[in-house]
Amino acid sequence: MNQRYIPDLKIPVSRRREGPRENMRWIGKSIKRVEDPRLLTGKGKFIDDVVVRNMAHVALLRSPFAHARIKSIDISKAQALPGVIIVVTGKSMAETTGPTVSFSSPPVPQYVIAVDKVRHVGEAVAAVVAEDRYIAEDALDLIEVEYEELPVVSDIEQMPFAKGDAVLHPERGDTNVAMDRTFTFGPVDADFARADIVIKRKLRWNRSGPQPLETAGAVAEYDEGTGKFTVHCNTSMYTYVGWLCAVSLGVPATQLNIVPTLAGGSFGSKLFLHRVIVLTASLARLAGRPVKYIEDRLDNMTNADAHGSDRLYEAELAMKSDGTMVSLRYQVIDDYGAYLQYGYGTHGNAFSQVVGPYRINSVEARVIAVLSNKCQQGAYRGFGSEVANFVIERMADVAAKELGIDPIEIRRRNLIRPEEFPYVIPTGNVYDIGNYQAVLAEALRMFDMEGWRAKQAEARKQGRHIGLGLVTCQERSVFSSTEFWSLNPPDQPGFALTSSPEAISLRIDPTGKAFVKLNAPFWGNSPETVVTQIVAEALTLEPSDVVVGYADTDAGFNGTGPGGSRYTVMVAGAVVAGARTLREKLFKFAAHMMECGTDDLELRSGNIGIKGVPDIQKSIAEVAIASHYFRLSFPDEPGFESGLETTAVYDHPLTTLPPADRSHLGIFYPIMGHMAHAVALEVDIGTGKVEILDYVAVHDCGTVVNPMTLAGHVRGGTAQGIGSALLEYFRYDEDGQLLTASFADYHIPTAHEVPSNIRVGHVETPSPYTEYGIKGGGEGGRMAAPPVLVQAIEDALLPFGVEIMEIPLTPNRIRQIIRQAQR
Amino acid sequence: MSNKLIEIAVTVNGKSLERRVPPRMLLSDFLRHELHLTGTHVGCEHGVCGACNVEVDGKTARSCLMFAVQAEGAIINTVESLGTIAKLHPLQQAFWEKHGLQCGFCTPGMLMTAKELLAANPNPTREEVTEAISGNLCRCTGYQTIVDAVMSAAETMRNSEVTPS
Amino acid sequence: MKPAPFEYVRPGTLEEALRLLAEQSGEAKLIAGGQSLVPMMNFRLARPELLIDINSLAALDYHRRDGDVLAIGALARHATLSASALVRSLCPLVTEAYRHVAHGTVRNRGTLCGNLCHADPASEMPAVMLVLGATLVLRSARGERRVAASDFFTGLYSTVVKPDEMLIEVRIPVTAVSCGHGFAEVSARKGDYAMTLVASTLDIRGGRIYAAALAYAGVSDRALRMVALESRLVSQVPSQALFNEVAEAAAHSIDVGEDQHADRAYRSDLIRTLTPRALAQAAASIAT
Repeated sequence: MNQRYIPDLKIPVSRRREGPRENMRWIGKSIKRVEDPRLLTGKGKFIDDVVVRNMAHVALLRSPFAHARIKSIDISKAQALPGVIIVVTGKSMAETTGPTVSFSSPPVPQYVIAVDKVRHVGEAVAAVVAEDRYIAEDALDLIEVEYEELPVVSDIEQMPFAKGDAVLHPERGDTNVAMDRTFTFGPVDADFARADIVIKRKLRWNRSGPQPLETAGAVAEYDEGTGKFTVHCNTSMYTYVGWLCAVSLGVPATQLNIVPTLAGGSFGSKLFLHRVIVLTASLARLAGRPVKYIEDRLDNMTNADAHGSDRLYEAELAMKSDGTMVSLRYQVIDDYGAYLQYGYGTHGNAFSQVVGPYRINSVEARVIAVLSNKCQQGAYRGFGSEVANFVIERMADVAAKELGIDPIEIRRRNLIRPEEFPYVIPTGNVYDIGNYQAVLAEALRMFDMEGWRAKQAEARKQGRHIGLGLVTCQERSVFSSTEFWSLNPPDQPGFALTSSPEAISLRIDPTGKAFVKLNAPFWGNSPETVVTQIVAEALTLEPSDVVVGYADTDAGFNGTGPGGSRYTVMVAGAVVAGARTLREKLFKFAAHMMECGTDDLELRSGNIGIKGVPDIQKSIAEVAIASHYFRLSFPDEPGFESGLETTAVYDHPLTTLPPADRSHLGIFYPIMGHMAHAVALEVDIGTGKVEILDYVAVHDCGTVVNPMTLAGHVRGGTAQGIGSALLEYFRYDEDGQLLTASFADYHIPTAHEVPSNIRVGHVETPSPYTEYGIKGGGEGGRMAAPPVLVQAIEDALLPFGVEIMEIPLTPNRIRQIIRQAQR
Repeated sequence: MSNKLIEIAVTVNGKSLERRVPPRMLLSDFLRHELHLTGTHVGCEHGVCGACNVEVDGKTARSCLMFAVQAEGAIINTVESLGTIAKLHPLQQAFWEKHGLQCGFCTPGMLMTAKELLAANPNPTREEVTEAISGNLCRCTGYQTIVDAVMSAAETMRNSEVTPS
Repeated sequence: MKPAPFEYVRPGTLEEALRLLAEQSGEAKLIAGGQSLVPMMNFRLARPELLIDINSLAALDYHRRDGDVLAIGALARHATLSASALVRSLCPLVTEAYRHVAHGTVRNRGTLCGNLCHADPASEMPAVMLVLGATLVLRSARGERRVAASDFFTGLYSTVVKPDEMLIEVRIPVTAVSCGHGFAEVSARKGDYAMTLVASTLDIRGGRIYAAALAYAGVSDRALRMVALESRLVSQVPSQALFNEVAEAAAHSIDVGEDQHADRAYRSDLIRTLTPRALAQAAASIAT
């Protein structure tokens, strides 16, 4: 029996203070959302609703070429157009404004407006500030740019070999390869040597992107009296790393205040928006007027720094003949586009769950990150690990086929068992807890796989092609910041930060109401609702006694924000900590008021009372007003300061450093959700169109704060997964022109393309490490929908004997596959 | 190119008003920036996403595909006319109860489309609701709870019509 | 994405509209529904200097039987026509095709005549007009002329409409009782423009095809009526084999285009697949 390879790391003990409980009053309830009334009545304040007195408007001139030197720009005619305030080129802006943030090391410098050359179609070449957006766009027509075109390499397999003028950032060397490193986790060679069979395949995950309904934007003011910038933006991570924008602007962090607005969807695309913040702030300073810049849809598609993964894999899965998975090895080329704002984070992310839910002993990955003449990648729901899910699930299906084992059975044989948690995977990440067998069983119970197999057989007799699929996938949650740099060369880690906290400020006012200020925004996740529920739970208040708001960067602190399905878990930690502090203080005052010990007290239904004595209690409001206003009624000791307010910072509950040799990456994404998706679909083999007949999604997100909103993420995520798998494609041609640059050509699913009834199921394995045992679930269905759809389409086309290892499967592509099989 | 402004008289959310606008000002911009009715949202400005849907003379229209000058003499209703926090329209109440929104950006356009459907067809099937909202993109919900909400509102509205005289 | 500046006028009479069009020929565009024109203006792909808004000409919003013809006026909206019982009884292919046209809100303002003048190569209605042998009535300050649908569409977004002309009416021969209709389309999403569509009518008398009409859109720079293929159908007994044969011939004879959504082979596949479906539908739909 081979010894399992376990990276040498110690799992820290749990710091959890609040476990999951039966009969919780608010946590676990599907209360109506706190955010909704204003959104429903058209009173939500989004970035384009922000109006600042004397505000001017920005339009960007976008490059029509994918790669070109900027030889000259003549802005004189544009400048002279009535209503134009200033026209700014990249060169002139660079005099006052440095490059924007890059988490890569060494950094790939990106300027808000291209300076000497343009590197993708849509990149900004000049900015016009005018009285209104209409005039600003008129001025764009009058800017004359002379370009010298440079070569474009469009084939991902050729990108690593580009040289000379085809190199995007020649100052970094004569190559577009930003990184080519092999990561070895465990005894891969030995594992491959002892395998009975090695499954080897190429897989292609093409580029799609978040495309929220609301684009990114900012409104910036520059106060010439104080030298301070105020920037309203639908951004995230502003209290975490927003100050880096001040660096770009050449001012101290104290001179930049970022004010969040509601965001109309993000899915990762609004994670930072450094470029939009720096652009508007810099222009406000140059123009001497506040400025507003709202991306139009064309800006957002071509220039929002927010495309998804674009990868070509060559993968090998070493198997025993009994279906045991032994080792995984792959080479991946990832086309990052023209810049590298998040470094190789999307591959670090993949490493968090690269073995899926399976007992794979070792992993080796050669990651080749290339730069190309496309809009750069950002974060898109999954941040690269949805692709890892696709790879492992497809390889599992191929293994099942080649070994003659049922695909569900092969998964069963390899699923990590409940008693094995916390489970350390070869990359060093930990899976905190799970019961993958229970999730699978629930999915099969809800889906009726047997019934569908019978229907499929009947349909085949009639010449119809029904396909069935089932996948079992991980959804990691709560990233740690080590993910940002752990794949950088160990001698060049860049800024190797290890903090990724979440924080709140919390106070109870003299009337006993709770006021919470968040340091992270609203994206369509439900921060106000979940925080209301958790505060109400922790302090035994009614939800109507709680109000939640958002701090700007002047007042805010330590909010990493939503992303990586972390927000609910992390803010719960902050709430628990803050609530405990206030409870302690409330008890101190109450104990004095009721002449007892603080240990004698408990919170019950908004009151503080003596345990076991129902008649002796005071309402929180009574104690609150006393604490606020009656200092001299209490002892002259510490702990009786007037008021009830606190701040609470909650750090990642379970993370460790990678060792210096990077033999593993430490624990960085351990709060591990899991899902099983099952689908029945029909392929019209004449047209290549796919119709989804039935869809089941069973998710384990630990303790669920609000089942209704969680189900919303499952369904919404599944819809985006359907989009990436069947419909959406940021398609660039060989000259780097984006062929799908409008909503007419980039096909976001409408109500017709998403199943009318995605049945959501539920299993809960509460995390031992998080407050209340909550796990993240925001990335939801997008992590599993693509592999289950491809599996089912392949199953539908079984009579043709095809194997499909790519997305998107547009009707055109499906017909191509069938046609090739028929030859 | 003349910058001549054109005077228009239009009724918006029950209020008659007159404004002078450049011919090319889109109705969406007129509503949002001239009248400060920011409930109507802009998602694409090429008529695909439906976030900008408003009611013009009783029928939904893409306000990004109309010029304000074309609204001369028209009766326009935006989401702000549907209800208030104190008195939500049954559709708004149903969207709230059924979780028919997440980020809320598509919601005003979605509500106006749903209102139009229920005015023409008070007892729709789920398929009919799906067809009616197929011109409104939502990136958050996957649509299922939106259909739930419209069906629920339809029932509420049918029941409230049944009042003994 | 804001449009370039333009002047705007909203004439109160048809005569005034035509006069303005004649005076500003080449620089002016009529706007009715605007559902095709305004996106192009917002992208600045279209930059008319004068917009002549005909939405006040309420008298042009009609559709009625006129002898043996369904007459549809310039301002008749897609929504009206697609819901019309009259249209369904006189020209059911139009109603059938409307199931694939855009979405409700767009259909509220969009007009049939505007759609035909825009002549998108993947749009449904041009193909329908070809199949039904419609006549298009063009009016200008100079007078009026009638153009057969088969002569109307000249290329990508191009028609024979002169700069001073308005498509004032579409006249569609009423479909015979013995005539069935079929329509099959594949688009990326329901309501999108077609990657390929087939529209057809089959007039079947005494068990044989008396007359046939067959048109395609989405395959080329304009909608195409396949007269040569139609003659292969005439006097034949309708059958799946016949339809397959015609489909094969269509796939061979149509020089299909390609774009980012559908390559040539796929469009040929769709012609092969959708033609028999449309023809079979036509044969089956004849009222007994």
